[in-house]
Parts: sequence; C-alpha cells; structure tokens
Amino acid sequence: MIRDLSWIDPLYLVLALRWTLGLTVLALLGGAPLGLIVAAVGSMHRPAARWLARGYVGVVQGIPLLAWLFLFFFGFPIFGIEVPAWLAASFAFSVYASGFLGEIWRGAIQSIPRTQWEASVSIGMSYVEQLRHVIIPQAVRIATPPTVGFMVQLVKNTSLASVIGFVELTREGQMTAAATLAQLPVYLMVGALYFVVCYPLTTFSRVLERRLHGVR
Amino acid sequence: MAYSFNFRDVFAAKDALLDGLALTLQLTATTIVFGFLIGLGVAATAVYGSRWAKRAAHAYVEIIRNTPLIVQLFVVFFGLPSVGIKLGVFTVATIGLAINLGAYAAEIIRAGIESIPRSQVEAGISLGFTRTQIFRHVVLVPALKNVYPSLMSQFVLLMLATSVASQIAAPELFYAGSIIQSRTYRDFEVYTVIAVVYLALAILLRMLFAVAHRLVFRR
Amino acid sequence: MAFVELRSIRKQFGDHVVLSDVDLSVEKGEVIAIIGRSGSGKSTLLRCVNGLEAIDAGDVIVDGVHVNDAKADLRALRARVGFVFQSYNLFPHLTVERNITLGPVIVKGLSAADAAALARQALRRVGLEDKAGAYADQLSGGQQQRVAIARSLAMSPALMLFDEITSALDPELVGEVLRVLEAMAREGMTMLLVTHEMNFARRVANRVLFMNGGRIWEEGPAAEIFGAPRTEELRNFLGAVLN
Repeated sequence: MIRDLSWIDPLYLVLALRWTLGLTVLALLGGAPLGLIVAAVGSMHRPAARWLARGYVGVVQGIPLLAWLFLFFFGFPIFGIEVPAWLAASFAFSVYASGFLGEIWRGAIQSIPRTQWEASVSIGMSYVEQLRHVIIPQAVRIATPPTVGFMVQLVKNTSLASVIGFVELTREGQMTAAATLAQLPVYLMVGALYFVVCYPLTTFSRVLERRLHGVR
Repeated sequence: MAYSFNFRDVFAAKDALLDGLALTLQLTATTIVFGFLIGLGVAATAVYGSRWAKRAAHAYVEIIRNTPLIVQLFVVFFGLPSVGIKLGVFTVATIGLAINLGAYAAEIIRAGIESIPRSQVEAGISLGFTRTQIFRHVVLVPALKNVYPSLMSQFVLLMLATSVASQIAAPELFYAGSIIQSRTYRDFEVYTVIAVVYLALAILLRMLFAVAHRLVFRR
Repeated sequence: MAFVELRSIRKQFGDHVVLSDVDLSVEKGEVIAIIGRSGSGKSTLLRCVNGLEAIDAGDVIVDGVHVNDAKADLRALRARVGFVFQSYNLFPHLTVERNITLGPVIVKGLSAADAAALARQALRRVGLEDKAGAYADQLSGGQQQRVAIARSLAMSPALMLFDEITSALDPELVGEVLRVLEAMAREGMTMLLVTHEMNFARRVANRVLFMNGGRIWEEGPAAEIFGAPRTEELRNFLGAVLN
C-alpha cells in the first residue's frame, strides 16, 4: 500500500540518525583499541612485527566494507551464534576502523623524530613505556586531524549497514522511499541529514589541520 | 562445529563470478577515466576560476564528500528517470561513481596544483607563457607527480567501492556473489571468495599503478 | 627615447612605500648594476620592468611598450625581456634542453628542430652543451644558474634582467656565472643587474645605481660610484660591503 510523503517522515529520518551515530560510536569503541595495537606493533623496530601490522592493514583495507559486513553477518551463525544486525555491523566496522586508524596512527608515530626514541631508551624505558610516555603524547597532536577526518568516513559508511538490515538513517530512508514511492525527495533528505552531521566534522578537521601546521 | 564448509558450490558458479568480475573491472576503468577528468576540471576551476565558479566547485566537492556513496547512487538511480532520462544500470552506476570519485580526485589534484611554488610560475611568466601554457607545461605534470600516490590510493578505494553499485542491481562482482548466495545458501563461503578476489584485485591494481608511474614519469 | 624608461615610479605594499619617485633611462647596450641594502627596493624595481610587480604610479616603458598599461601585450614583451632569478627556477620535471626549448616552441612557435638548435647555441654560450640531457637536480647551483641564463638567452632577448643571481650560490661557483655575464656584456647585451658582486659591478657595469629607502640615492659611472661616493649613506654601505 503506497502512502503519501507526509511531514512526519522527515522526523523519523532525523530520529534514525541516532542509530547512525550509535553505530559510529560502537565502531570507534571497538576499532580504536585495536587500531592502537596495530599502530604500536607497526612501529616496532622488528621487521617481522611491522610486516605483520602492514599485512593486517593491507587485508582490512583491501576488502570492501560490504564484504566485511556480510562476512560477520554470515560468519557468526556458523558458530551457532545468532547475532542481531547491529552487533554484526559493530564487529565489521570495528575491524574496518582498526585497519584505517591503525595506519593513520602508525604514520603519526613514525613522524616523531628518532631522537625522541633514543632519548627515552637511554633512560631505560621499555618499548611500551616509550610509546606511552614520550611518543604517543606527541603523536596525538599530529594524528588528530586525520582521525577526525576518518570519523566522517565512518559516519558515512554506517549507511552500508542498511544492507544487512540494520535500521539506521539510510535503511529508514529506503523503507520510507518504498512506502511512498517518493524516492528522490526522500534520498535527498537523507543526503542532507548526513551532510548536516558530516560537514561540521570535516570543517573541524580542517581547522585542526591548519592549527597544526600554521602555528610554528 | 556443526557446520561443514563447502566451497565446491561456490566454485561451480565460477562463470557467474567471472562475469561479475569483468563488470567490476569495466566499471572501475570507466569510472577512473571520467572521475579523473571531472576531478581535473573541478580542481582547475577551484584554483583559477571566477569567484562564482570557485564557489560552485567547492560546493560540489563538499556535498559529495560529506554524503555516503550509496545515497548518491540512489539519488542518481531515482533522479535520472524522474527527469525523463532512462539509462542502463551500468551507465547509471558509472555516472554516480564518477561524480563521487571526481570530488575526491579534485581535492587531491587541487592540493597538488597549490603545492607548485610560485617561483616556478614566475619563471613561466617571465618567459612569456600564457596562463594556459603555464598550467599545462609548468604546473600540471609536477602537480600530478606529487600527488600520484594519493590519487592511486583513491582509485583503489574506488575499485573497492564499486561493490556498492550492487545495491542498484549493477551486476558486478558483489552482486554476483549475492545471487550465488541466494541460490546455494553458502553465504559465508561465497563472501569469503569474493573478499579474497577483491583483495587480489587491490594488490594487482597497486602493482599496476606502480608500473604506470615508472612509465609515465620516466626519470 | 631610451630603450628602458622608468618615470616617477611609485610602489607600496599596504602602508610600506617600497619605491618612491624613481626615474631611470637605459640606452641599448648599457650595463647597469643596481646595489643597495636589502629592503632598499632594488629587486622590486627590477621586477617592475618586466611586469612581475605592478606599480602604483608612474610609467614603465620598455622598447616603446607601456608595461603598466592594462592593455599592454606583456606576453610579447616578456618574450624579448629575459629575467633570471636568484633561485634559478628551472622546471624540475624537464631536461635541461627541454627547459630551454619550451619557451621558443610554445611562445614563439618555433619548430622542435629549430628550438633544439637554438638551445644548443645557448648552452654553448654558457659552457654547458654536454648537460643537455640532464635534469636540474643533477647539476650544481652554478650550472643550474647558467642553464637559467641559457633559457632566457634562447628567447633572443633585447634586454636581460638579473635578480641577485649569484647570491644563492656557493662562493666557488660564482665565478663561472659572472664569466658568462661578462661575455654577454662584451657582446653588447643591454643588462640590468641587481647584485652584491661589487668587484664585478665596478669592472663590467657602465653605470651603477645605489638604492636606499626606495629611491635612487646616487647614480653615475662605476668608477665614480665606487671611487668617489658623494653621500654618507653610500659611503657607509660601501664601507660595510667592501670589507
């Protein structure tokens, strides 16, 4: 049964944003610690460790996000676990985020001058201590703009969770479009809502970038 | 584990997979060509255009970069027929993907153009070059060379993103996978194979770009 | 009319007046050296001659062309006025030969073969014919600067402008560049040089301009400027620089 597009539809779309943002947060909660490990392993002085981290990043970045979503969605049932779409999506996005964040953060760590490592190892610090007390505090400044930039990517990419049935903004849009056959206006609204969330973040990332490189 | 992996059904459908793969490659190649051209034009406009042209270029880039690809594809897919344009799904997918890639390419190329020092441009001015000549001979090639790695990374991302076109029923690799999945119920195996194929494609594409770099920027 | 005429030139950046009331006439074949402290406006003056800088008041006339006129065909003028920069500004993605042939081909419409011949000639004049296939980053600073000169020479200019072209070079590389300049002067090229090379200026220039605070403070034959400075400022400058 087809109904007309009414004023209440945009409202439902806006409400669906909370699932979009929720999934983004879950992706970061899962992906950030994992990404940190990838970055730490990837910055070690052992070639084997770096190779391992690079391999992980290569595999994660080399497989489309849709494939990751489906792998987790269909993977859990194999072990007899039935997971709701949002949980499968959270796992998939966490892995996805860890691959990209790990690479960003490894780059930031790499940009800290060698002399910092030399100074901290000379007072007896272990690798983890060096990272924790000397390197990462300095790398955070450099890593922040691209990290904020990646968060924009994450928000946009949550749109793909719609494909495995998770009801976030895009899925809500699809259902509304199917019910009203007013597809173009609906998707334009959906796009506008993503824009309203992402554009400020993008601008913020640019401000951070400029502050990083301007103030010298 | 009460589940037995069965890849045989998936490999039995390898023709369907190969057809999908062929379309993925076609889609990637066509999109890269048009996306690059769009990006080049928009970047040049953003740097050299009139005030309004610059604003239009920035607006285009910001809108595309701050909205999801799948939504853009839906807009193109439903929008074109609504103004009376009926196109095949491959063309629609290419249009949507190229518009998307164009915005990202434009940002990258613009950064490249702006990285060329003013002194190079002054040398061109002093030799009497026109602005177009300066762009073509002094700015463009070094700019592209500087941003080649970023641009190639973006192209690889694009190849992976063609999977999203499956959602507007473009019969590329991912779509082929979902068809096989619905036929064989070998969900996990199908997508594992597909994931591996994409990964292999990504690696091959990077190698191809590395070779192309040596050929184009021979030094 | 003189080949280059500057009349009452005035230029300012915001509130800062960089050039004020500058008058200059340059005859064909003259070699003029412009000296002065940094900030005295000498580079700006040079850049006004080929229109790299716009002036706020006055007239710049080169070979009859009003450079500051909005409708002037600067492109045609620049094809006849060579400018060599302090930082050479060679095109890094092109070979030495291509750097030199690019201008003749795309501005003057020469065929590739004619341009190549011109390039060889220009390289011979600066003593670098064997470097035609090299890239800028394979050459020393002095060699790059000589290629930059050759690049301007290939356009067969009637006037050559040099903006402190030896200031960025290691001392032992300066000589090779100055030798090229000297040869050009002997061949009768009209040259305006902003330079710190006082000995060179004294030896090769016909006239020397001492700039101070955006004005031409003193001007005269080289022997007079260096041998008998009239103003206190020039005396101080020479005292500081020649020691």
